[in-house]
Amino acid sequence: MDAGLFAQYVMNGLMLGMMYALVAVGFTLFFGVLDIIKFSHGDVLMVGAFTALATYVGLHAAGMDSNWFNLVVMLVLATLAMALLGMVIARYLVMPLRSAPALNTLLITLMLGTVLRESVRLFYPQGANPKPFPALLPRSAIDIGEFNLRLDNVLMLCAGVLVIVGLQFLLNRTKLGLAIRAVAQDEETARIMGINFTAVVLITFAIGSGLAAFAGVMNGLYYNEINFGIGLYLGVIGFSAAIIGGLGSIYGAILGGFLFAGLQTVGTVMLPFASAYKDVFAFAVVIAIMAWRPTGLIREKISERV
Amino acid sequence: MASALKIEGVFTAYDKADVLQGVSLEVEDGRITCLLGSNGSGKTTLVRSILGLTPPRAGRIVFNGTDITQVPTHKIIAAGIACIPEGRKVFPKLTVEENLRVGAYQERSDKVASARLDEILQIFPRLAERRTQLAGTMSGGEQAMVSIGRGLMCAPKLLLIDEPSLGLSPRLVKENFDIIRSINERGITVLLVEQNVHQTLAISNYGFVLSKGRVAASGAPAELATRQEVRDAYFG
Repeated sequence: MDAGLFAQYVMNGLMLGMMYALVAVGFTLFFGVLDIIKFSHGDVLMVGAFTALATYVGLHAAGMDSNWFNLVVMLVLATLAMALLGMVIARYLVMPLRSAPALNTLLITLMLGTVLRESVRLFYPQGANPKPFPALLPRSAIDIGEFNLRLDNVLMLCAGVLVIVGLQFLLNRTKLGLAIRAVAQDEETARIMGINFTAVVLITFAIGSGLAAFAGVMNGLYYNEINFGIGLYLGVIGFSAAIIGGLGSIYGAILGGFLFAGLQTVGTVMLPFASAYKDVFAFAVVIAIMAWRPTGLIREKISERV
Repeated sequence: MASALKIEGVFTAYDKADVLQGVSLEVEDGRITCLLGSNGSGKTTLVRSILGLTPPRAGRIVFNGTDITQVPTHKIIAAGIACIPEGRKVFPKLTVEENLRVGAYQERSDKVASARLDEILQIFPRLAERRTQLAGTMSGGEQAMVSIGRGLMCAPKLLLIDEPSLGLSPRLVKENFDIIRSINERGITVLLVEQNVHQTLAISNYGFVLSKGRVAASGAPAELATRQEVRDAYFG
């Protein structure tokens, strides 16, 4: 393969991987603090993307034409709105079910996902159709052989890296992060240490859902189109990525996200006659990985001692 | 002597069965008070009730004059109670230093927390050597040090110690009891929950014996050691 074409595939894979990783991290965070799978996560991403789009429409109607300003307002508003939605879901849907079997939480969040999806389809103006998402980032590009390096992709990738580095900093270097990790390891002992368990859970859901909104905006900017179904698709992929990574390790989730994107890209390259099967290929490999390592690629190194 | 902790007629139930059936006891300020009893007598349930993890369905728990019966756990800790839980319960995937820092979670000032950390590392030089090691990879004795150090990090007024000798070798048990005595000498009131009668009574100022969810006996250690109720509580 030509080096330029190869670079193009790598770049596309990195873009997808970044989005998947951001979604997978959310699944991992929620599973960490509450031991639950929240299946509405992907649809929160979709609502985030639509919130950003609605914000843009509003700003545009108000005569705001600065792309940068609009983008920042969209990002901030979508992220905050989804952080709030995440907290509301955690407080009124997930936490009350704590004493019930985990399967109930999975089911109820699955249903919530459907409600969110259908609400956007029915109530967003023309929500059943794909909506064009504005290209707000500079679209200049450099051609290196067959490799078309687009500035907007580079910017999104950098922003994604910054977000992940920021999350790492938050989790590993701040008191709040210490509390989240403590709760994830042992809820009751964390409470005995004086950690306000409910507050930590709500903040964790806010962070995870905010990340999903960020990924949703990124998705819109990348494809220049969003529809009410993207959440389901990205949710399943993000969940798979989190599972590959071992569900419980942030690094594992990030690795899983990029691995899944890598598989899709390999599928596209290897099956040029039928690149539509790239997802089939990627999910088949995920199934094979799960059969080989049922607990994910990142394994626990510590055994509990009495 | 004033009492730091006063428990009045506490009933605590998991689901519907009462595990504690009207427990009343007092922990005197500045002393080591012990709570003895066999497995299943309700000792750990009482600790959970005090900490608000399993709030009592009836009765009152008063700490330094404040009713903490229905207060959320983190506020009870903020009021000055700390706990070294049964089985040590270190956070396995946090480093030694992080484990200790979690102990000072309620402390708002970073400076104060860091000063306490240095103090704890001086008491346990072994932990200073292993500051960056994950607590889950340490031996049982070392984890016990982490757990004790963590309990001291919030500078509690009252320290609840639940079964510190569980699973430790006799030499480590003795070491642990010496540490508990020195903790008390620093002015921290201790409620020591134990199965190990003789060593516990040897360092306590006063003791209660719990049997089937009720206080079966109480008194000074010398007196308790000879009481029939104590033997009954364990073998009866």
